[in-house]
Amino acid sequence: ETKWDMPTPYGDSNFHTQNIAAFAEEVKEKTDGSLVIQIHSAGSLFKHPEIKNSVRKGLAPIGEILVSRLSNEDAVFGVDSVPFLAPSYDQAWKLYQASKPALEEKLGEQGLQLLYAVPWPPQGIYAKKEITKGDDLKGLKFRAYNTATERLAQLAGAVPTQVEVPDIPTAFSTGRVEAMITSPSTGANSKAWDFLSHYHDTQAWLPKNMVFVNKGAFDALSDDEKAAVLEAADVAEKRGWEASKVETKTQTQVLVDNGITVVQPSSELIQDLAAIGETMATEWQEEAGETGQAVLEAYKN
Amino acid sequence: MDLSLVALLLGIGMLAALATGIWVAVALFAVALAAMMVLVSAPAGPVLATTVWGASNSWDLTALPMFIWMGEILFRSRLSEDMFAGLSPWMRNLPGRLLHVNILGCGIFAAVSGSSAATTATIGRMSLPELKQRGYDERMAIGTLAGSGTLGLLIPPSIILIVYGAATEQSIARLFMAGVLPGAMLCLLFMGYVAIWALLNKDKMPAKEEVIPFIERLLATRRLFPVIGLIVGVIGSIYAGLASPTEAAAIGVMLALLLSWVSGTLSRKSFAEALMGATRTSCMIAFILAGAAFLTVAMGYTGIPRELAAWIGSLNLSPYALLIALTLFFVVLGCFLDGISVVVLTTSVILPMVEQAGLDLIWFGIYLVLVVEMSQITPPVGFNLFVLQGMTGYNIFKVARMALPFFLLMILAIVLIVTFPGLALWLPQTMLSN
Amino acid sequence: MRKALNTLYQASTAMAACCLVVIASLVVLQVFGRIFDWSRTVFGLEPLGLQVPSLAEIAGFLLVGASFLALSGTLRNGDHIRVAILLQSVPKAGARILNVWAVAVALALAAFFTWNAGQLALDSIKFNETSYGVIPIPLVFPQSVMTFGLLVFSIALLDDLIMALTGKAPSFESVVKADPIEGKE
Ligand code: NA
Ligand code: NA
Repeated sequence: ETKWDMPTPYGDSNFHTQNIAAFAEEVKEKTDGSLVIQIHSAGSLFKHPEIKNSVRKGLAPIGEILVSRLSNEDAVFGVDSVPFLAPSYDQAWKLYQASKPALEEKLGEQGLQLLYAVPWPPQGIYAKKEITKGDDLKGLKFRAYNTATERLAQLAGAVPTQVEVPDIPTAFSTGRVEAMITSPSTGANSKAWDFLSHYHDTQAWLPKNMVFVNKGAFDALSDDEKAAVLEAADVAEKRGWEASKVETKTQTQVLVDNGITVVQPSSELIQDLAAIGETMATEWQEEAGETGQAVLEAYKN
Repeated sequence: MDLSLVALLLGIGMLAALATGIWVAVALFAVALAAMMVLVSAPAGPVLATTVWGASNSWDLTALPMFIWMGEILFRSRLSEDMFAGLSPWMRNLPGRLLHVNILGCGIFAAVSGSSAATTATIGRMSLPELKQRGYDERMAIGTLAGSGTLGLLIPPSIILIVYGAATEQSIARLFMAGVLPGAMLCLLFMGYVAIWALLNKDKMPAKEEVIPFIERLLATRRLFPVIGLIVGVIGSIYAGLASPTEAAAIGVMLALLLSWVSGTLSRKSFAEALMGATRTSCMIAFILAGAAFLTVAMGYTGIPRELAAWIGSLNLSPYALLIALTLFFVVLGCFLDGISVVVLTTSVILPMVEQAGLDLIWFGIYLVLVVEMSQITPPVGFNLFVLQGMTGYNIFKVARMALPFFLLMILAIVLIVTFPGLALWLPQTMLSN
Repeated sequence: MRKALNTLYQASTAMAACCLVVIASLVVLQVFGRIFDWSRTVFGLEPLGLQVPSLAEIAGFLLVGASFLALSGTLRNGDHIRVAILLQSVPKAGARILNVWAVAVALALAAFFTWNAGQLALDSIKFNETSYGVIPIPLVFPQSVMTFGLLVFSIALLDDLIMALTGKAPSFESVVKADPIEGKE
């Protein structure tokens, strides 16, 4: 019997974690209990920044992270977070397929193997007022937590402002930040209605979480076990994408139910944001070099 | 090998290591390393390095050395003396007199600091020398400080509530609000105990100060202004949107330096002494925190806390029996592990039980904080005990004995919030009902 | 030799203190940036978004420096806490053996830790590990500082082990505290 410890960053009630729990259950069933995955959720074994390296070094055989966390390491990991490049589930799937070979190659260089990836609900703009056009973002203190979000804020003429996740409610309440871009799930979980009023369903991008294994640990499995893991991963990916769509609907409804005004962005706003998106896509492509170009070509065809 | 036997052996190993004079941090590392090597297939060395690296490079943790530094500066300025001189005429007739400053001071400081170690260290640095000099019973002085230092966790902001909120996807703003009334209640319980103790032990209280005419009393109050200015400055910087709670700690350092300069007590020597003192105290705590983080991961791998919690779940207890069982479980585990680690390690197993028992998750968060607070003052692993040993030189078991009444009062507080859940839930429900 | 070692411990601890000073300065700078921006908006000007980029990560790294570089100085000042009940109640020879035991265990652990922290830093070079935020900081820098702090700590422990073995008082027992509040038991 093999036991795999699996560090994951998010809590048990998160739909990603629930999907992983179902995946682990299926692996156990398919292997008749010869491979058991013990999930350590909410960073209880390794914290988010440490999970990738822990798996690479074999401290844990399998793990989950937000793909774009690695974008400082290689631009390819940031492709799913280029704003307005793939602003819907269908486009995000297409982009995922187009970027998958590059993703797998980069992970392979570190002895890692991608099992599956599942997107978060699309990213929308939260603010304390309605935003009807790009100009409305000018001068607004806009939460930036990495290079991409900082650039986005700059291009929008907003003031990029660093706020750590647990600090978000206080920062909004005291006016240190006035707008942020994140998913309806994050908004609903942090009870965004306590400190802001408008959610704009801009579908800017769909960042993904990925589940990946240490190649050595995977190769040490029997052929039957390998097949079971891959099959279960396939199922988990499909289930995860559907769960993500359901999550978008339910959590957006939660926002509505609690009095947040959910705004369908005006065509003017969409246009202004798309222009920013194009600039960022070009910049991303330059940064990602040939690989980036190949990914974008595959995506656009 | 049976996991509960392993747990017992590790506990004995920890006590043996501490008893033979091994440093607390080293003992934590050593026990964790032993558990990793015997029970876990993952390589212990890289796990050690990765874990400690991850636990040590933390933005939230930077508030701790800043507050400790602030305390060191204030201790070397005349500020704490001024504060006690200003307060003392007003508290003359309150049984327990200046002992209440520890409790109220911690309660107020807790509104700035999210950690109990920082609260204990900062307030203790200012109040312990003053109380000693004024002849107060040191057992009560240290005990009140150990107990009320834990308020740092209950009164918002709070590190542990952030951890719990992230793991359970509960709103941190609501959790924070839920902690306010229980925090105030705990303050009152502590003050009530001090008052009763003072009435029963008149011989252990220092002689009363002379009665001071009202006008002079008012004039003496003037000496409180610098302290009030400091408190207002630090809390105000958060609520005016100028600083995050973590950043406010550095504002505290700046204001303390400013006050110390204005009062003429800032010299190159006092600056260097305060800074070096803060550096060493924070290093001592950070090293223990690192050991605790490694022990947490080792426990995560071995699955001991998880299995024990699952065993409680298998008993199918009624809600009240479940809470009693969980409290016992947390207290025992909290003796050996850092309280926050206990929460992190067991939430996955415990939350389903809690939800099944129909308990509110916000309420349960506050219950957990109270239990974690208790773990801060139970030996051998309790961070308030470490801070106070560092400050007073008394060993952790002696400090723990002084803190025992306050441990019992926290149990009473748990009984109260179980009986009256509204204590935790009323404020968030009223303030945030759309 | 003694002088060189003492300088090493002092320098390392002084660098740790500098890390704290830098953390405080950066945070205060950040807050002043915010105040400046706020006053601009009062006069109807656009805020400039003045801030210290990646402050949270940089401060976290500096904290690693502050914590690990101070290990040796904290040890020698007797500020790492331990339970001394047994140590104080046994005869002198027994206390000496206990000190040798405690220092030896700590040295073994510190050496093991230093080695693995070094491996961590090397691995970060090999795989180009950087921080996640706006400024990608190579992790090898703060991790090397951590390793260096642990190395100096190991040297200090070896120093004290030799002291204890040769029958002299180890540094943490002979130190005279400047400002004890209650005094030792
Ligand atoms: Na607090
Ligand atoms: Na404890």
